[in-house]
Amino acid sequence: MQLVHPLVWWLWALLLAAFVIRTNNTLIATAVACALTLVVLKLKSKSYWSGAFALSAKLALSIIAIRIAIAILIGVPMPGTVLFQIPEIRLPSWMVGIRIGGPVTSQRLSTAVTEALMIATLILLCGAASSLASPHRLIRSLPKAMFNLGVTLSVATSVLPQTVKSVARIQSAKRLRGQNIRGLRAWRGIALPLLEESLERALDLATAMESRGYGYHGKTSKYRAQKFQLADVAMITSALYLLALSPILIAHFTFGLLLAATVLIVALPIVIVPR
Amino acid sequence: MITFKNVSLIYPNAQRTILEALNFEVFEGELVLVIGHTGAGKSSLIKLINGLVPHHTGGILTGEITVAGRSTRELKPGQLSDVIGIVGQNPINGFVTDIVEEEIAFGLETMGIAPEIMRKRVEEVLDLLSLAPLRNREIATLSGGEQQRVAIGAALVLNPKVLLLDEPTSALDPIAAEEVLSILHRLVHDLGLTVILAEHRLERVIQFADRIMRIGDDGEVVIGKPGEILEDSPIAPAIVNLAKALDLSDISLSVRELRRRTESIRELLQDLPLPTKITESRNEILLSLNNVSVKYDAKYALSNISFEIKRGEVVALMGRNGAGKSSLLRSAVGQSPIISGTVLINGIDPVTLTGKNLIRHVGYVPQEPGDLLYGQSVKAECELADNDNGVPVGTTQTIYENLMAIPNLNAHPRDLSEGQRLGLALSVILSANPDLIILDEPTRGLDYVAKNKLIKILQKLVVDSNQARSVVIATHDVELVAEVAERVIFLAEGEIVANGPTREVLTSSPAFAPQVTKVLAPAAWLTVSEVVAALEVSAI
Repeated sequence: MQLVHPLVWWLWALLLAAFVIRTNNTLIATAVACALTLVVLKLKSKSYWSGAFALSAKLALSIIAIRIAIAILIGVPMPGTVLFQIPEIRLPSWMVGIRIGGPVTSQRLSTAVTEALMIATLILLCGAASSLASPHRLIRSLPKAMFNLGVTLSVATSVLPQTVKSVARIQSAKRLRGQNIRGLRAWRGIALPLLEESLERALDLATAMESRGYGYHGKTSKYRAQKFQLADVAMITSALYLLALSPILIAHFTFGLLLAATVLIVALPIVIVPR
Repeated sequence: MITFKNVSLIYPNAQRTILEALNFEVFEGELVLVIGHTGAGKSSLIKLINGLVPHHTGGILTGEITVAGRSTRELKPGQLSDVIGIVGQNPINGFVTDIVEEEIAFGLETMGIAPEIMRKRVEEVLDLLSLAPLRNREIATLSGGEQQRVAIGAALVLNPKVLLLDEPTSALDPIAAEEVLSILHRLVHDLGLTVILAEHRLERVIQFADRIMRIGDDGEVVIGKPGEILEDSPIAPAIVNLAKALDLSDISLSVRELRRRTESIRELLQDLPLPTKITESRNEILLSLNNVSVKYDAKYALSNISFEIKRGEVVALMGRNGAGKSSLLRSAVGQSPIISGTVLINGIDPVTLTGKNLIRHVGYVPQEPGDLLYGQSVKAECELADNDNGVPVGTTQTIYENLMAIPNLNAHPRDLSEGQRLGLALSVILSANPDLIILDEPTRGLDYVAKNKLIKILQKLVVDSNQARSVVIATHDVELVAEVAERVIFLAEGEIVANGPTREVLTSSPAFAPQVTKVLAPAAWLTVSEVVAALEVSAI
């Protein structure tokens, strides 16, 4: 079984991001986000990076919430229908143009929602790409000329999730010693063992790589060179078409058609990617 | 295959030479076991052979080491990778990729082997180590024994003539250890591989060794047949101690051999009464779990667990890796995501306890005792503990000095040996005076001497005249359980499958039976000392 090339996932996500920015439409962004969620739920890998999508979803939701809260509380006055009124705080006269509270207009709210949805969708695309193709795998598929850089980076990416685990472990040990696990003093107690452990691990890895002959032979080879397949080509071309043809679709056809095409193309991997 | 000529090793700033004037030769197809106390230089010896010492660690080396005719003086470890494979103490730290197959191919990739040949080699190694069903798995999701096999496979893929292993079974449960060792045995016999192996748990490996190399504390090394070396060695497995205690003319190394030679003694022992522990009525319940279930993600780590621990008991928690031992222990200190059921310690839910209140009730020594320590020296650590636990200055240090023979107070906790570090963590916990003490895999890096000391400490804790405590130990070490525990709780797949007296539980499972039991079956003897005591009584 051959997986989709990790680079393809990232390229696909980038093209969709460009498409979302270019169309600049809430409905389209929402459609992309929904179809994307389906794709991730169906296809995500089992590595520790697969949690990236859930994390990005949380981040996206909090960004939407914060953006809307700010739009209601602070902002420049905007024309439009007044939806509701909140008490306004008088600011000194030198802070012209900034307002806290006051009337909330539909326009002000809709601009905020559109912006927030755009950012949220872009974040989701990024999260989806990391959970569908782990950065670890992406780095390993770097061209041969960058082999050294690739291995260095793969050491870094493999240490990161382990460090997260170590922090949790050391924190729980601190609690078991009856100590506070928050605050600056507690961090000293966590940072020291963590540093020692990471150093030890990095040394172990360097030793292991050295004893397996890493870096002593000029020519290296690839065990399983990743080849581009039909699914990879289909994903990239469909996303490219979507990006390129969206102005024509908007200009000459109904919006419904563009929406349908978006959903179909984003969800395409569910059908064509082997599992 | 390997020759050492007049080899001495000293580390910069070290007080003593690690190894002195070593002269020996290891032949092709031999399995040599390296033994010695913790810190005696076992790891250094292993790393000397492939040049990691001193090329990677520094240190001054004199003499000449050759492997397959090549001197390690000029060649670096990477240039020897086609003759020597090495598996470190923590294989998980040495994995470069995250898929089994890719990990095994890594060594070949760095050598620039052509993909077609590479495919064939990887396939051979997967078959050799029975890893084929796991080829596409993520290494992080494998069990300890499987990871150990992947590490061996990754070292073997370059077709080395020598394989070096540093404590390959110390983190494994008895069944996984057997898997790894039987594969090593096969490699030696079928392929003529030379294997050098350092290990503390002699009871597991002794039967596979052709020769033993013992490193003394003074850096002196003796090498010889297992029988000769173990005859006068303070480091010896239970089976050797049993043979010595029974006054047999020479010692045996396998259960089969010793059974043959003890037929008459076994008949005699069959009729002797087994020792019964006189336990005063204990009814104060210290820890109780009632229908506890714990869930991580979608998987149940524990389902419907109920049991009680009474004051003054020593209970062992056993089971394979991933059976739920650590989840169970953590639930007792309020750190497992319990979805149903209740945990009460001294009648209080541990989740509601924080800081000093928690450690008055329960002390927990984690698998890595170093996690608890963050002082810059042993002395500073003890003072920090006094402060944390709100006890008079000097309390922790007194406890530590009582536990340890040589309490080097100025050393940094990281520089201590495993045994000393465990002792320090235990002192820190004990100074808070908890009723219940929990130890997670305490004997992982301990040699027999340190282990015997731990056993004495634990026995003293529960019969302390001022305050009888309870001890719960999660461990794979059956010999420790036989010595110290009076009850065993056996877990499998998050459920309790056995909960009863140690004698009953240990003797009923062949994989988890101690060596004495295996030799003297069907009579249910557990330890050398109780056999000796029974024979003495019967002689009178």
